Amino acid sequence: MSTISRRSPASYLLAAPAALWMTGAVVVPTLLIAWVSLWGGRAFSPDSPLTIANYARFFGNQTYLKLILDTVQQSLLLMAISGVLGYAIAYFLVVMVKRPMVRLAIFFALVIPFWTSAIIRSIAWIPFLGVNGVINRTLMFLGLTSAPIDAFLYSRTGITMAQVSLYTLLMTGPVVYTLSNIPVQLREAATCLKAPPLAVFRRITLPLTLPGIVIGQVLIFLNVMSDFATVAAIGGNKLALLGNLVLNFYEAGNIRYASVVAVLLMVCMLAGVAIALKVVDVRRLGE
Amino acid sequence: MPDIDLELRRITKRYGSFLAVDNLSLDIARGTFTCLLGPSGCGKTTTLRCIAGLEQIDSGDILIGGRSIADAPPWQRDIAMMFQDFALFPHMTVARQVGFGLEMLKQPRAEVARRVAAMLKTFEIDHLAGRKPATLSGGQRQRAALARALITEPRILLLDEPIGSLDFSLREMVMFELKAVQRRLGISFVWVTHDQTEAFSLGDLVVVMNRARIEQVGSPADILERPRSAFVAGFIQGNNVFRGTVTAAQDGMVRIATGVGEFLVPVLNGSTPPTGGAVSFSVRAERITDQPGAEHANRLSVRCGAVEFFGAVRRYFMHQADSQILKVDQFGAQAARLREGDQATIGWRAADGVLHHGDGGSP
Repeated sequence: MSTISRRSPASYLLAAPAALWMTGAVVVPTLLIAWVSLWGGRAFSPDSPLTIANYARFFGNQTYLKLILDTVQQSLLLMAISGVLGYAIAYFLVVMVKRPMVRLAIFFALVIPFWTSAIIRSIAWIPFLGVNGVINRTLMFLGLTSAPIDAFLYSRTGITMAQVSLYTLLMTGPVVYTLSNIPVQLREAATCLKAPPLAVFRRITLPLTLPGIVIGQVLIFLNVMSDFATVAAIGGNKLALLGNLVLNFYEAGNIRYASVVAVLLMVCMLAGVAIALKVVDVRRLGE
Repeated sequence: MPDIDLELRRITKRYGSFLAVDNLSLDIARGTFTCLLGPSGCGKTTTLRCIAGLEQIDSGDILIGGRSIADAPPWQRDIAMMFQDFALFPHMTVARQVGFGLEMLKQPRAEVARRVAAMLKTFEIDHLAGRKPATLSGGQRQRAALARALITEPRILLLDEPIGSLDFSLREMVMFELKAVQRRLGISFVWVTHDQTEAFSLGDLVVVMNRARIEQVGSPADILERPRSAFVAGFIQGNNVFRGTVTAAQDGMVRIATGVGEFLVPVLNGSTPPTGGAVSFSVRAERITDQPGAEHANRLSVRCGAVEFFGAVRRYFMHQADSQILKVDQFGAQAARLREGDQATIGWRAADGVLHHGDGGSP
């Protein structure tokens, strides 16, 4: 428990360094992006007249609109797959594994790959997914397919497979935390109150891990929405999501459109977080 | 044959190489208040969890109401359990919580609501129906947990140190409330505790456990007056335990040589131990007097050590040479006759010694 009350001068003083940093590193750049997205004219100049024409042209383009839907859809897909997988891993770690050392060992095995950068981990999937890749060779070796399947690399399937491996633990972490905070006796008490295992899960475990679920889902949502590296590496040039669009416009020197897409991406992400906060007030976790 | 609620038949439970419950048998007649009493780690909680089905027994059988349930999961056993910290569901209101068991039994909604309301009224917590556990006091939580456990009308209620987490001032009240509930409903309670005051004031039957086994089963009076083993005598407050060798036996008495003297002890039941055999016996501290008369056959010269008050009792710790050898209790209302450092002769009637027949583990 904090001994500093919420609105005391000391609390403001303590928050000041972080607030200054966040202002400089996040708030001001974000406002700059929003500003640039409203620039009219063609010159790269702060004197540009402000207009919503950039947005109007973006929304007038069916391909771009579909890209927003694709990106949100990809996020929802990952939230579903990694959500279930991540929860299952967390449940296994906390509830099924009884020995602390085994739990620690499995936890490390899951976490150590994440010591490398996200881009390298994305690229590492290419030898697996390619026409001559590990997956195809294995399938052919097992006689499950006679010719290599080219649906893995440069496809949504491949991107999804890579993203599942990248983001599942984002779900596991918060769920492990909330799950280990549930005393074993609560499940046992329910069991002694005539509840079979499935009912114990539905009525006790699931509701009590809801905060962890929501945090995990938000983390996956935000990461997939902003993921351009995996899409670029696995999808090649054939596929793009909103993040790649930002990069494409930026590399083409069109910072107005890059900003427009960045702003829309942020709006989508904020909307997602807002919905999540409606379900569970994550800020009150631990109170 | 009386109606038996619970039968444990030679149950054994191991954790790896650790023997938690060792070949334990126990019969509990219908409507009995049973207390499993013992030091921590003696296997009493594990026994309770085996009865609940939260632990699987490795061998033996458990019968509830004459039906073997050793292979049945907890939710199919005719039991309810109260946990040490009550294990109330933090996300449910009191009413929801209490109705949980009936919901699981797929009772119709109206029926659940009716019985929950009745239950809340019985335990005088109807005004708390809409509250969540975090906002309840210790006593209110305890009542909510009890109402929740009893609503399915189980044959046996298992209680794992159910008042251990309550304030001391609340304990006595709650203890007697629980006893009254048990009497009124006539169901069996199996109450695990390490607190002998609880066990002796509540239990119809007290089961003293040590090292995964039962040391003694009996009424509180049995266990207080006639401990079967040196362990039971030593575990129960107020006993002086002596170990020694039998030197003679006659007229239903044995003479036992101990490190501090020779004493006469009656052989009340069981066989007379052989001369030369190692035995132990005990004498209750309040049976020893510092003014022995002709009837006090067993006497001893001691030096008075510390004097302490235990409730209404003044307890003297008596020494010989450098070691404390026994304790003597007097009612505090009597004027103190001894002070620390005084020499005294103390004694007790031969009939007040209790020979232990259960030492060595054989039942």
